[in-house]
Amino acid sequence: MIPILHTERLTMRAPRWDDFEAYAAFCASPRTVHLGGPFPRCDAFHKLAAVLGHWHLRGFGRWMVADAKTDEPLGIVGLYYPEGWPEPELAWSLFDAAEGRGVAFEAAIAARDYAYDTLGWTTLFSAIEPKNTRSVALARRLGCTQSGSFYHEIYGDLHQWRHPAPEARP
Amino acid sequence: MTPTIQTERLILRRPTKEDWPVYRGFMMTDRAGFFSSSGDLAQTWKSWAAELGHWEMYGIGMWAVTRQDDDMIMGLVGPWTPPHWPENEIGWMMLSSAAEGKGFATEAARASLTHAFDVLGWQTAVSYGWPDNTRSVRLAEKLGAVLDPNAQAPSEDTLVYRHPKVAA
Repeated sequence: MIPILHTERLTMRAPRWDDFEAYAAFCASPRTVHLGGPFPRCDAFHKLAAVLGHWHLRGFGRWMVADAKTDEPLGIVGLYYPEGWPEPELAWSLFDAAEGRGVAFEAAIAARDYAYDTLGWTTLFSAIEPKNTRSVALARRLGCTQSGSFYHEIYGDLHQWRHPAPEARP
Repeated sequence: MTPTIQTERLILRRPTKEDWPVYRGFMMTDRAGFFSSSGDLAQTWKSWAAELGHWEMYGIGMWAVTRQDDDMIMGLVGPWTPPHWPENEIGWMMLSSAAEGKGFATEAARASLTHAFDVLGWQTAVSYGWPDNTRSVRLAEKLGAVLDPNAQAPSEDTLVYRHPKVAA
């Protein structure tokens, strides 16, 4: 039920149980500080399993982004719409192994194209904690403009970055 | 092929997104107080996603417990085997107060244990519980499980009940 996407350097696939150690390491790292973390291992399993369950509940979701050659897990990117979210989001979380390689950009473009071209969506936003300057930079690179904000009990104030509409994609 | 189990009175099947309203209804009441996501809709949604995700990840998970003539989920009983768990667990969570006192959890747990040993090939099975969840502890004892003080527990305040291995 989870489609596989191929980009130039990446495979976007369903998370598997053997991605767990890489994901748990990410959850425990400072990389989750803007996402309500760091999280212990028990939370990491629930979060990873929930990535899969999200596809069942919504019919779309997030992918494990893996190196196309080695299958090494590099991050989780895709369409995120849990209970309590204002609308479906294009979300990205990258592991240390993805550092400095443009992985987030490449995966985000593929996920956005999937939302627009396969699912037929006409709009998409990304929720970003304002202090998360690297994510803000990526949003800008993807052509997003800040269009508002919402308050979340766990994450606090989140800025909404609106993606270009399908026909306005760079 | 997703395993479905039929017992004397029950069908145990893979849970689906259609079961969400019942799960939500349970988690948003006081009865769910033992579970960390109770009372929080966003966390409850994620915990249901994780329940479905366990199946996707392992091809097995806790079954939706239903009556043979009524597909409505009454509870979740069965294998829970996340990678950070010290051992394979048979877990249970009854969602419907209307289904209480009829021995459905016992019947489902017995069938789950048989499946775990005979089909999944488990060598041993435990159930984790909290000391103050007396209903759950009673069910473990009813199934013949005994407290294993030497077993590693997932967290400090958790009791480990070890099940007898049923003869195939």
